[in-house]
Amino acid sequence: MRIVVSLLAIALAMPLSAQTIAVTHAEAWTMEGDAPVRDATIIIEDGRIRSVTAGGTPPPDARIIDAQGKPVTPGLVNAATQIGLVEISGSPDTSDRGSADERSPGHDVSRALNGNSTLVSLARADGLTRALIFPSPSRHAPFSGEPAFARLRGGADILDVANVGIYAVIGGGEWDRLGSRGAQWTALRNALDEARNGLASHNDGTKHRGKRAGSATSSKAEQGKKMLRAVVQGEAPLAIETNRESDIRQAALLAADYGIRVIIVGGAEAWRVADMLAAADISVVLDPGANIPRSFDQLGVRQDNAAILAKAGVRVAVGQAGGGIHASYNAGMGLRESAGLAVANGLPYAEALRAVTVNPMEMWGRGGGKLTEGAEADLVIWDGDPLEPSSIATHVIVEGRETASRSRQDMLAERYRDIR
Amino acid sequence: MLLRGATILDGIGGRIDGGDLLLRGGKIVAVGKGLANPGVREIDAQGRWITPGIIDVHTHSGTWVMPLTAIDREASDVSEVATPNAADTWIETAVNAQDMAFDRALANGVTTTQILPGSTPIFAGRSVVVKPVRGATVWDMKVVGGVQGFKMACGENPKSWGADENNEGPTSRQGVISYMRQQFLDAQRYKHAVERARKAGGSMPPRDLKLETIAGILAGEIRVNLHCYRAGDIAAVLSVAKEFGFTIGAVHHATEAYKIPSLLREAGTCAAVWADWWGFKVEAQDAIRAEAPLLERAGVCVMMHSDSATDGQRLNIAAAKAAAAGRRIGIETPVETMIKWTTSNPARLLGLGDKVGTLAPGFQADVVLWSGDPFSIYSRPDVVVIDGAIAWDRSNLPEYPVSDFELGRGGVNP
Repeated sequence: MRIVVSLLAIALAMPLSAQTIAVTHAEAWTMEGDAPVRDATIIIEDGRIRSVTAGGTPPPDARIIDAQGKPVTPGLVNAATQIGLVEISGSPDTSDRGSADERSPGHDVSRALNGNSTLVSLARADGLTRALIFPSPSRHAPFSGEPAFARLRGGADILDVANVGIYAVIGGGEWDRLGSRGAQWTALRNALDEARNGLASHNDGTKHRGKRAGSATSSKAEQGKKMLRAVVQGEAPLAIETNRESDIRQAALLAADYGIRVIIVGGAEAWRVADMLAAADISVVLDPGANIPRSFDQLGVRQDNAAILAKAGVRVAVGQAGGGIHASYNAGMGLRESAGLAVANGLPYAEALRAVTVNPMEMWGRGGGKLTEGAEADLVIWDGDPLEPSSIATHVIVEGRETASRSRQDMLAERYRDIR
Repeated sequence: MLLRGATILDGIGGRIDGGDLLLRGGKIVAVGKGLANPGVREIDAQGRWITPGIIDVHTHSGTWVMPLTAIDREASDVSEVATPNAADTWIETAVNAQDMAFDRALANGVTTTQILPGSTPIFAGRSVVVKPVRGATVWDMKVVGGVQGFKMACGENPKSWGADENNEGPTSRQGVISYMRQQFLDAQRYKHAVERARKAGGSMPPRDLKLETIAGILAGEIRVNLHCYRAGDIAAVLSVAKEFGFTIGAVHHATEAYKIPSLLREAGTCAAVWADWWGFKVEAQDAIRAEAPLLERAGVCVMMHSDSATDGQRLNIAAAKAAAAGRRIGIETPVETMIKWTTSNPARLLGLGDKVGTLAPGFQADVVLWSGDPFSIYSRPDVVVIDGAIAWDRSNLPEYPVSDFELGRGGVNP
């Protein structure tokens, strides 16, 4: 029965996905090179970009969207947010961010994602089409769990790829359940040792890639351990949310000692060790707007963090953008505003666009986030500079289909528009 | 000094392209085109923009001081929470002048902020208005000459606190409103007793700091800043104000004010709003970015506010986001109107409407020279002038760090 339903769903989806769309007169930011293609015609077919050519002629059967010379970018990618896991953060019964399971390092957020959330539709209306969804700290410190990529197509199912790595948090603060950060690093190293020792007995050859990385038959406790084995094999990254220079240095040591891929999230003081991070090929997800330390771990926080890191050759992406409530409630707008602030503080414009498109994909070992031949057709047409908060996403195309760009907020505003 | 050739937004709806601004003796002397230089320093401002200094009517600077520590989590200075009626408290007695939030605000063009107590108590206490200049204490920063502000709260925050074990206080919306009315009734009696004693020369009632403060609200000497979200909550407190014959200065957050603009307009009450804080609590579900343009169009006095040391650095960007949301539903707001939301409207709420927030002769010289369009994310304040003195100059930055807190700490300096 399940198979019949799935086939039906595919059949129904076919005519839509098969539609050819041509975006004409676009200032197309393909993310190849540092400049846009002017007066570009972007042809979208079967959910993919078929071509981007200056002054190109659209196919006769295509639906034409005239961009009127305005910017067109790949759909924006938030490198760290929790949309789809939370509805009302002040009311825990509507939140699925953190695991209370003390045994498992592997809280799998992909199983909690809710594409019907109002946070998701607003983010999409603001031009966000993909996001790395990270778990909150679990009771199995220092692990939070296994993040997932979401793709903001319409409807409840927004899962792109599950189990993309392991997410851990290290530092001082009230979330800490292990005490000293020294104990936190030790716990992390012990878990990696255990995963490495377990490789021989557990290695079943499963590739930890794809829609769901071979976790279907694993118990919950096993799942996190399986992912840790993928980390020590270099197949999946370990994201460490940490901010203090001493901890970032520890993360670099860890990456070298175990030969694993590490992503720093937060990284308030990462600018102080920019060269070290570049040499170790450690990427950084950061909030470029942050310039006031929330804790003593962040004393060195500054708004040119992104500019300094990028200049040193570190791959940076924007995540947890705007801090506080914005990180999830304005996962699209906050991302754009923060990337704009990075530019205002010295990050080259094209680099800032990369930080919200290709870079977050690359650091998790995935491609995409470009408007090039054969690329996945996630793109946004803007009425102005996408990094200006005053600009509007006029068309948001995901998987080659135009999505509803009206959010619940727009509907409320329209409902009360004429109340005086 | 004379700033020459800028795009000037005067804060009250006027715009001059290629305009000049003359400042002298801490005041604005002239705004116009082709002003004669009476022999003062001249700054070429061509291609740049000038606005009044930004005014944020809702901060917790100096009390919600970053970096937060366990001490703050255990007992915060944001609100006195021993009782739902903390009307006797003055937030200025708690402010830590070394909060780096003041420096960040100044660097981003803020020249006046109101520090409010938090929204846990129903009567939360007196506010203080400061300029973000360096001083050893808050009294080096305090602005005088305005109307004394006061903070009240309704809705989820006070009722949730009341519902916590061991706390004294109402546990429901109806309880909160009823509590307000009882305090105002008591204050009314106290006020009458004082007035009778003054008139007839009889004995004064025993001095009571809470009643004295609330009586000041009833007398119109103290202005209420009301934390409220839902339309029904706002309407209920406006009716309490009507019953006791006073005017609420502004409803803060006011996330559903767009549903009831006529109530605010008729009460003469302003709305101090965010652009895009929404959803994080139940009563904030219906917050919309288009609130400010909707209220502006309905004739309500509206202003942006931050409630955050981070967002407070970008109130103009908040205005830009609000205006963009208005554009999505067909409401255009010109920049000369948007700037009112961050300058003259908040100045009036603070009782400083004839002193700051407007670029006109006689006003205090609180001025920002922006590198470009003040509503662009790429623009920075090049020069910030407070009372005629250069308080921030991007081409001549002060020795870092500025606050005592940051001085000599590893990790801060390169």
